[in-house]
Amino acid sequence: MTNSSDSAPNSLSRKGQYNARNIKDWLTGFGMGVGGIGVIVAIVLIFFYLLYVVFPLFIPAGMHKLADYPLPARNAGQTLHFTVEEQNEVAVRFTDKAHAVFFKARTGEVIQDISLPVPAKNSTTSFAHGQLSKGQVVYGLDNGKALVVRYTYKITYPDDKQLITPQIEFPLGNKPITVDRRGEPLLQVSLGSDDEKNTIVALTQDKRLLMVRLQKAESMLSDEDEEPRYEQSIVKLPAVEKAASLLVDNEQHILYVAEQSGHVTVIDISETDEPKFIERVRVVTENITISRMRFLTGGISLLIGDSTGVTTQWFPVREAEGFRLKRIRSFAMTKGSAVTDLVTEQRRKGFVTANALGEVAVHHSTADRTIMQKKLADEPPAHITISPRADTLLAEMKNTDFQFWHIENEHPEISWRVLWQQVWYESYEQPGYTWQSSSASNDFEPKYSLVPLAFGTLKAAFYAMLFAVPLAIMGAIYTAYFMTPVMRAYVKPSIEIMEALPTVILGFLAGLWLAPGIEQNLPGVFSVLVLLPFGVILFAWGWHNLPANIRNRVPEGWQAAILVPVVFLIGWFSIGISPLLETVLFSGDMRQWMDKELGMGYDQRNSLVVGIAMGVAVIPTIFSITEDAIFSVPKHLTFGSLALGATPWQTMMRVVLLTASPGIFSAVMIGLGRAVGETMIVLMATGNTPVMDFSIFQGMRTLSANIAVEMPESEVNSTHYRVLFLAALVLFIFTFMFNTMAEIVRHRLRRKYSSL
Amino acid sequence: MASDTGLTHGINLDALERKSTVLNIESETICLETNALDLFYGEKQALKGVNIKLPEKRVSAFIGPSGCGKSTLLRCFNRMNDLVDTCRIAGSITLNGEDIYAKSVDVAELRRRVGMVFQKPNPFPKSIYENVAYGLRLQGVKNRRVLDEAVERSLNGAALWDEVKDRLHDSALGLSGGQQQRLVIARAIAIEPKVLLLDEPASALDPISTLKIEELIHELKDNYTIIIVTHNMQQAARVSDYTAFMYMGELIEFGDTDTIFTNPSEKQTEDYITGRYG
Repeated sequence: MTNSSDSAPNSLSRKGQYNARNIKDWLTGFGMGVGGIGVIVAIVLIFFYLLYVVFPLFIPAGMHKLADYPLPARNAGQTLHFTVEEQNEVAVRFTDKAHAVFFKARTGEVIQDISLPVPAKNSTTSFAHGQLSKGQVVYGLDNGKALVVRYTYKITYPDDKQLITPQIEFPLGNKPITVDRRGEPLLQVSLGSDDEKNTIVALTQDKRLLMVRLQKAESMLSDEDEEPRYEQSIVKLPAVEKAASLLVDNEQHILYVAEQSGHVTVIDISETDEPKFIERVRVVTENITISRMRFLTGGISLLIGDSTGVTTQWFPVREAEGFRLKRIRSFAMTKGSAVTDLVTEQRRKGFVTANALGEVAVHHSTADRTIMQKKLADEPPAHITISPRADTLLAEMKNTDFQFWHIENEHPEISWRVLWQQVWYESYEQPGYTWQSSSASNDFEPKYSLVPLAFGTLKAAFYAMLFAVPLAIMGAIYTAYFMTPVMRAYVKPSIEIMEALPTVILGFLAGLWLAPGIEQNLPGVFSVLVLLPFGVILFAWGWHNLPANIRNRVPEGWQAAILVPVVFLIGWFSIGISPLLETVLFSGDMRQWMDKELGMGYDQRNSLVVGIAMGVAVIPTIFSITEDAIFSVPKHLTFGSLALGATPWQTMMRVVLLTASPGIFSAVMIGLGRAVGETMIVLMATGNTPVMDFSIFQGMRTLSANIAVEMPESEVNSTHYRVLFLAALVLFIFTFMFNTMAEIVRHRLRRKYSSL
Repeated sequence: MASDTGLTHGINLDALERKSTVLNIESETICLETNALDLFYGEKQALKGVNIKLPEKRVSAFIGPSGCGKSTLLRCFNRMNDLVDTCRIAGSITLNGEDIYAKSVDVAELRRRVGMVFQKPNPFPKSIYENVAYGLRLQGVKNRRVLDEAVERSLNGAALWDEVKDRLHDSALGLSGGQQQRLVIARAIAIEPKVLLLDEPASALDPISTLKIEELIHELKDNYTIIIVTHNMQQAARVSDYTAFMYMGELIEFGDTDTIFTNPSEKQTEDYITGRYG
């Protein structure tokens, strides 16, 4: 029978139908396949895009040689110091014969050889550079005088071609300044300068340490005029006979004197009239000498290279008796080979060291890592310098040839330690987790710890869940299990529609209405928390004891409705007694009282506000899924339990919740996922302060809000930009982890507790 | 009925052969009694003036076509109908002379005394042990030994002990359908009810499991008053002492099973039993 119908020749129409069905089948299958794969592809693409932006943070640095040429203007003397300008076009070399030789950095072709105005009868005895970005150097002369020189580059565009013209200026006048009136040669000098004043510190041949401070006079109109000169202050120091080098910080508050014995003496020179000895610190162990001492950019940290190839970072840390120099971290090169030169980057907290083996190493101070090490030649470089953009390294070798290296080192400041571990930043009393992505100047480095942000994210989510989970789940239990179907038909959609409320409105209300409201009625808010459960239970008990004929007027399952006025009444009463409570219990101001008695600060936009606002945003999600889970517990299970003599409450607790547990669990996890990723509410209702404080009265900054706040300001492809993408990636991984974990647990629960 | 012998399930009917004691409803102790019981689901009347006296420690079967009200009547005995919002009741039901719809009655306590087993096995998603102990735990029994004993006794009573004694703490959901149904019976008898209501307890089971359930009912009737609703007339004939035939919400006839099946006094009963309708 079936055979004949299959092979029947008159089955044409059927065949057509069959084909149409096939096509529909195929189209549906294709559509679903495309949709499903599309979703997965989209997520994978997002993930890889994030990864693509983040990845350069972790690319190892590299350097390669671009040019090699002989020493320019050999006759001008031996190099004391040299630098290259911003564009890596022009370099300048200061020599012991007081020449400034400008030459093309890539070829060595001399542009200008300027003889500095040192009197012919005198010679230079010492040299130092000031802050590199200011381009100032100082020569100490054999007659007790010093000459301050500034080099600048003027960029013009004649014929649309960039032309860099080097210039030499004398900010303190082109006549040498008298440092030592006795005219002793200056064996060591150091220069500190800012817009207001200049300080030259020098060591004379007879071991006197002298300071000249030059304060800019208000009435002076132009820099060409001679600066007023201040009294010399002679500072006597113990054991400076072997002073190796001097360093004055930019603000001219502190003088560091490195000694050949391996000590550094710290002198407070902020008061011109009374310099004070602060301390003398041993910075290297016995038998090791200091070979180089430099400021890290910013002039706060001291970098000390020693004869074993180790460079240590030190900075003053506030202690009980004042600031004390502390050893922060150290960086090693090939062991046993002395640090011969040490140059710092001008815009980042990185630096380069060279050793006697002809190797150079690029380090980053706060990232606490040596980024790369490279051998330049078999002999030690006499001098090295790094360009302002830190992308070029110039090295002068002992046999007088010059090497021009290109450095690729875009993001030295990022390391695992910086992102996730405690870092001791300059001017901080101790290591800590800090997020401070932008600063006013290059002197302070951005601080990129993701820990406070991750903490803030979890904290906000925690308080939101603390508020939302009990309310949502208990509400869902009541709605699904005890409420009359008619009332449920109103309640459930009403709560679900709350989910459609734009979070920006919730955030707006939370920030501008709830936060000040809570601040003004703090005792009231707390009395609500205490009175509400009490009041509701008391009312329920009272209701239970009412005569039956009153109770029966309220239909079964509608009792919840009569709680609404009770809740409002308690809320109104609590806020009403708030000022009274504040006066009686907290001597007028609960915030002050908390601050004084409990030591808890109060931030207007705090976790309490966020918890409530974000809780409101999360409640519909949790409520809806939980309600569905509970409602879909098979009736035969509840009947089975009731038939065994269980009360509805016992059935609820022992059977229904257990069976619905996978659903409730995923509801909570989805709510948590939403709370973690929520942006607008935390953006508007927290102070966005990246603090690590679990107090409910303190704000926080979350990963998502941080991205929203800072992304528009960050320069594309900068470290900051990439770190923000990294934060996004972390957020992505957070949610991914939560969801995966939730899914695994849910599956296990479902295997265990799902009913037939 | 001759149909007894025509079973093809391979069941050993001898095992089920009842003692041919002559039953007389007049000489029985009455356990449950309804008096002019009317029941409405909203506007629809599901039970119409039902008067029935169910004897103690006997198996009574309710038979009748679908929708005749036999399950509804069964659910009246432990007030499961209360869970239906629109359900109203008139008339009275007494359990050992006590009105179970009286205001002072604690429904949970009533249900503890009148246990019920449903058509579909409904073990809780817990271990076998916890399923059986559930009723006792509800009453606050925490003593491990008491629970252990009750679990063993109940599982023995439900003829399940030997099959599950090695895996008491495994999930009950891993049992077969027939085992689950016996587990549910064990759960019901663990709290030692007076009456056991069985609502088509074997209809979702395979023949072998059905046989085991029937054997079990046979054993349980020494201790419990059993009321069973069944669609399967052979089953009613095999397991019950008394049979009630219901039709359109009315109790048509109630009497000892042999009489109902061999010599019914009502025409409707005979028509149903002989398969003219239903």
